[in-house]
Amino acid sequence: MNDFTNCRELKPYQVPTKAMRLGAPGKYGMLDLVFELDSNHKSIMRHWERRAPLIVQQELYFDEGMPEMPCVYILSAGGPNVDGDRYQNRFTVKKDAYAFISTGAATKIAEMVYNFSGLKQTFILEENAYLEYIPEATIPCRNSRYITDTDITIHPAATLFYSEIYTGGRKYYNDGELFVYDLLSVCTQAHRPDGKPLFREKMVASPKQKTVRATGIMHHYDVFANVIVLTPPDDAVRIYALTQAFINRDCDLAAGISYLPNESGLIFKVLGMETQPVKKIIRQFGSIVRMQIKGKPLPEEFIWK
Amino acid sequence: MTDEITRLMHLLEFSDSAFPIGTFSFSNGLESAAFEGIVYDADTLEQYTRTVLQQTIYCDGIAALQAFRAAEHDDYERIQNADHQVILCKMNAEARLMLTRMGKKMAEICMQISDSPLINRWLQDIRQEKVPGTYPIAQAIWFQQNGSTEKELYAAIEYGAINMLLNAALRCVKVSHYETQAILYRLCSATASNYEMLREMGFDDMQTFAPEMDILASLHEKGKMRMFMN
Repeated sequence: MNDFTNCRELKPYQVPTKAMRLGAPGKYGMLDLVFELDSNHKSIMRHWERRAPLIVQQELYFDEGMPEMPCVYILSAGGPNVDGDRYQNRFTVKKDAYAFISTGAATKIAEMVYNFSGLKQTFILEENAYLEYIPEATIPCRNSRYITDTDITIHPAATLFYSEIYTGGRKYYNDGELFVYDLLSVCTQAHRPDGKPLFREKMVASPKQKTVRATGIMHHYDVFANVIVLTPPDDAVRIYALTQAFINRDCDLAAGISYLPNESGLIFKVLGMETQPVKKIIRQFGSIVRMQIKGKPLPEEFIWK
Repeated sequence: MTDEITRLMHLLEFSDSAFPIGTFSFSNGLESAAFEGIVYDADTLEQYTRTVLQQTIYCDGIAALQAFRAAEHDDYERIQNADHQVILCKMNAEARLMLTRMGKKMAEICMQISDSPLINRWLQDIRQEKVPGTYPIAQAIWFQQNGSTEKELYAAIEYGAINMLLNAALRCVKVSHYETQAILYRLCSATASNYEMLREMGFDDMQTFAPEMDILASLHEKGKMRMFMN
């Protein structure tokens, strides 16, 4: 996993915070969640370790499409990510277990003066494991710097549905903020348990230095979603066949799908103007994936989400 | 050291759009962009070409420079790694297909006109599926083996990416030869500064961010329009 201090794009943002020091209590949130089957073959959250400001509670079984699925919401007691905040998540799904993880609200990356905020994530999926990771959107505010580094270890027979939504900023705050953040750097890579690399996607946007409004990048869209589905090749072929690629000018939405390298699965990208329609497309796609892997659809989203 | 004029002649030959590796067959999603009305004139074409160029240099460009330096030190393992890194970073199947077809073709042509042991070894590994055989790595090995410089390699990569798209544009976008040449001229003016920016970068810096282009590539991959291959 990358050491953030070595990341080239972060070099201008290494000045330490002036208020609470880097790594002070409350500035380094951590989660370590492990899901496994219990003796009755029920998927449960066997282990959870958490450090403020990140919080999770006991798993709940509220998914009407798959009531046997443990569901966990990640909450942050600290509110938005501020200068110098670091987060580290580790999610393990053991053999044959399954789980759903989301966040309770959007992740706001607050305006920054010093340093940056970073998130390191590790996903470990053992044989035949199944994980849906569908967090709410990330909103990078004016002058914010946010970097993520996600490392996935996945067995060839496991499935991971991993989604991210990034908005252009606080679109409806004051006169509106779109793409006025300093840096958004998102790196996701995956490999097999034996170390064989599968893919590495690094997306870097620094809109003040280089426009993201160009044709081919964000163009006129304000919201971008990236979904990675790591799944066995036969399942990937069926999911691909059932998924539409489209540009819909009436509702200003676009989506596309392609195969990831090394027969590791699929990548699905969505562009839109608002978060809700993009989320809806992601859930429709998630339903196709769940139906293929578990034979069950995703339920309707809660009306308050 | 190969003399300057010979190196320039080689650069012209191996950067020429007529060099038979199939560049004319691919459009980098431009066909869908034109059909969807996203690229429709010289201005939108220039923007789209800049986007394609950025994706190319931050992926193929970095990997090619690494492979060139590896070839200088006869470090075959690092060449293989550079080749794999290109594939790991290509998020759409169409782009991977394009680069591996062109890479293998280039290696085959190079073996017809020279007997470079390094190219030969790499071509054998492509045939045995030990390496993917991507185009930027083919260029890197050939340019190094042929006595060309790293800067000449980089110029060929940028020129190739821009020229491929502009040639495709002449067949599917309402633009003239005058306009495409003006775009080419403007974009090539930034090549030196791009090289200075990229020359210090390594595999960890390889990146792409072009979601609309990825969606257009997907439309092409799933669609039935076929002026260009996927």
